Amino acid sequence: MESERKFVTGSDIPVKGVYTPEDVKDIDYAKDIGLPGEPPFVRGIYPTMYRGKLWTIRHGTGFDTCTETNKRLKYELAMGQTGLSIFTDMVSNAGIDCDDPRVEADVGRGGVYLDSLRDWEECLDGIPMDKVSSFIIATCNNTCPATAMYFATAEKQGVPLDKVDGTSQNEMLVYYVCSHLCDPLLPHVALRLNIDCIEWCVKNAPKWHPVAFDSYNYREGGLLAWQELGLLMAHVTTYTDELLRRGNLGIDEFAPYFSYNTGTHNDFFEEIAKFRAARRMLYKLTKEKYNAKNPKSWQFRFHTQSCGHTHTHQEPLNNIVRIAYQTLAAALGGAQSIHANAYDEASCLPTEESLLVAIRTQQITQYETKVCNVADPLGGSYYVEWLTSQIEEKAWEYWQEIEKHGGMVKALESGWLHREFANAMWERQRKIEDRETLVVGVNCFESPESQYEIPVFEANLEAGKIAKARLERLRHERDNSAVEAALKEVAEATESGENVMPSVMKAVKAYATQGEICNVWRKLYGIWEYPLRI
Amino acid sequence: MRQVKSAVKEMSKGDRRIKCVVAIPGIDGHWTAAYVVSHALRDMGAEVVYLGNGMPEEIVQTAIEEDADLIGLSFHSGTHVVYSQELINLLRAKKAGSIKIVVGGTIPSQDIRKLKEIGISEVFPAGSTLQQITTYVRKHCG
Repeated sequence: MESERKFVTGSDIPVKGVYTPEDVKDIDYAKDIGLPGEPPFVRGIYPTMYRGKLWTIRHGTGFDTCTETNKRLKYELAMGQTGLSIFTDMVSNAGIDCDDPRVEADVGRGGVYLDSLRDWEECLDGIPMDKVSSFIIATCNNTCPATAMYFATAEKQGVPLDKVDGTSQNEMLVYYVCSHLCDPLLPHVALRLNIDCIEWCVKNAPKWHPVAFDSYNYREGGLLAWQELGLLMAHVTTYTDELLRRGNLGIDEFAPYFSYNTGTHNDFFEEIAKFRAARRMLYKLTKEKYNAKNPKSWQFRFHTQSCGHTHTHQEPLNNIVRIAYQTLAAALGGAQSIHANAYDEASCLPTEESLLVAIRTQQITQYETKVCNVADPLGGSYYVEWLTSQIEEKAWEYWQEIEKHGGMVKALESGWLHREFANAMWERQRKIEDRETLVVGVNCFESPESQYEIPVFEANLEAGKIAKARLERLRHERDNSAVEAALKEVAEATESGENVMPSVMKAVKAYATQGEICNVWRKLYGIWEYPLRI
Repeated sequence: MRQVKSAVKEMSKGDRRIKCVVAIPGIDGHWTAAYVVSHALRDMGAEVVYLGNGMPEEIVQTAIEEDADLIGLSFHSGTHVVYSQELINLLRAKKAGSIKIVVGGTIPSQDIRKLKEIGISEVFPAGSTLQQITTYVRKHCG
């Protein structure tokens, strides 16, 4: 009976059975919605949206060493992927060299191990860096050296810096909450390095987006749609305030380079409404709080990935359906770049076969469903417009709560964000176990035993040994005194408060490793202890 | 969660408290699942030593020093076979083979049998519930 059931969105927003003009009567189309490409950008950041340019099919990839990942990147492009996205492994992300005794088994797991310019050169060998844009998901300690290595690789390929197209994720907040890095730099040090990278890239790499504020991991971990947006806006204010404090660039010089990396979850209409709300929120934030005048500063240019935890270990082929719906929601939500997961996400990294299905999912959405014909086709839906406003309202409230906890960096250092994240995961699990959230094949329509098996990705278990041998050879072949001098310059630039990027660029070209560079910073400032308690 | 809470009532009837060490071997950064499982075990009435990330030597040493009944390991990056083998070998070498190991996380079905052959007591792949985990621990480690 309807009266006995509670109807809520995936983010616990109570919803009625039907929406009418009454529910949206206070919304003014011209002021609150507008046309695509015009403030407040609810309907899309470009006037023609997908008629003008389809979203980029951009699957994140990375595993084992540069050799295996190079092969996979070429496979992706051959199958019709239109942009690249490179995940570096936990070891690289932490800025640690593979000969550290703690890390051999983790080298090349969950991402590609890329330690030096030589690794990047081989990883991108044969990839036309002048034609393909890349999203470098280096987020933490290694973000400056990884970005520098990408640029240096492009230079070796003959692509000048002002033509290199792509994005560095380059923001530490989400990973410091959602991930437990090994030997992390202090938050304010990591933030300083991120900001240095942004400032340097704005001046030297005009086609590069030096930051992609990341809310994917929040949503993926169980935080709700409006919490995701509140956090995302808090990321924006953290970095904007710091850039403005430094005073080297004005808002309209750096804000156009901001981009966003979000999650796409299961509640179809909620995710669409979320993206629409995000566009309106960023417009208001940049225009009203920061007085930005450049329309490019106001635009929420975003990448999105289907949320991994929604994909089940049980009956993994069902995930193809989930991912298809999520891809469609991202398209109807106006994404500029999409990573649709492979169906084996809950078991392993993608095989070529499962990756192909994911690429085809996006191509079918682009070429067969006809959803690209019209911008924001759900605009004007009473439900979707109402829901867009609801999510925005709740997201601003959450953003206020983060401000009350001192902003993102203080909320991170105090452990509040970690507790929010852990509580969200707990609550999500509770809902599944109490059957408030139904998951087909898991807590409803379960098969008594497994109906089939899928092929499993086979990692190269020798990756750690191979990487160590490569590193040894590199250290034998490079000019170690040049490396030492370059690392000394990194230390001096860091201590003097200069932008570190020029010295980091020099160090990477001398074939210093990202571990050696990060150790300069660890030596200067020490290691952060996570505020996790149980 | 109702089943977890009823387990607490049973535990408090004078049973010896089960002791668990929960860890993430190596440097994989996915911490929250292990943290949530630790809370569930604690709510169930077990004593939990949450190590977070640790190398096999440290995990085993902690389990021995704490006189633990169980080591729970969380894996999300494909290192489950390598580290499980290392931990089993260490426990045997230190004559602590009575300490059970259970593992959970992003583990393909094909590896479950392999892990059990190595000596892992139970495997909880993605989608396992806290209720399944706590029921197992209560039944086999008490």
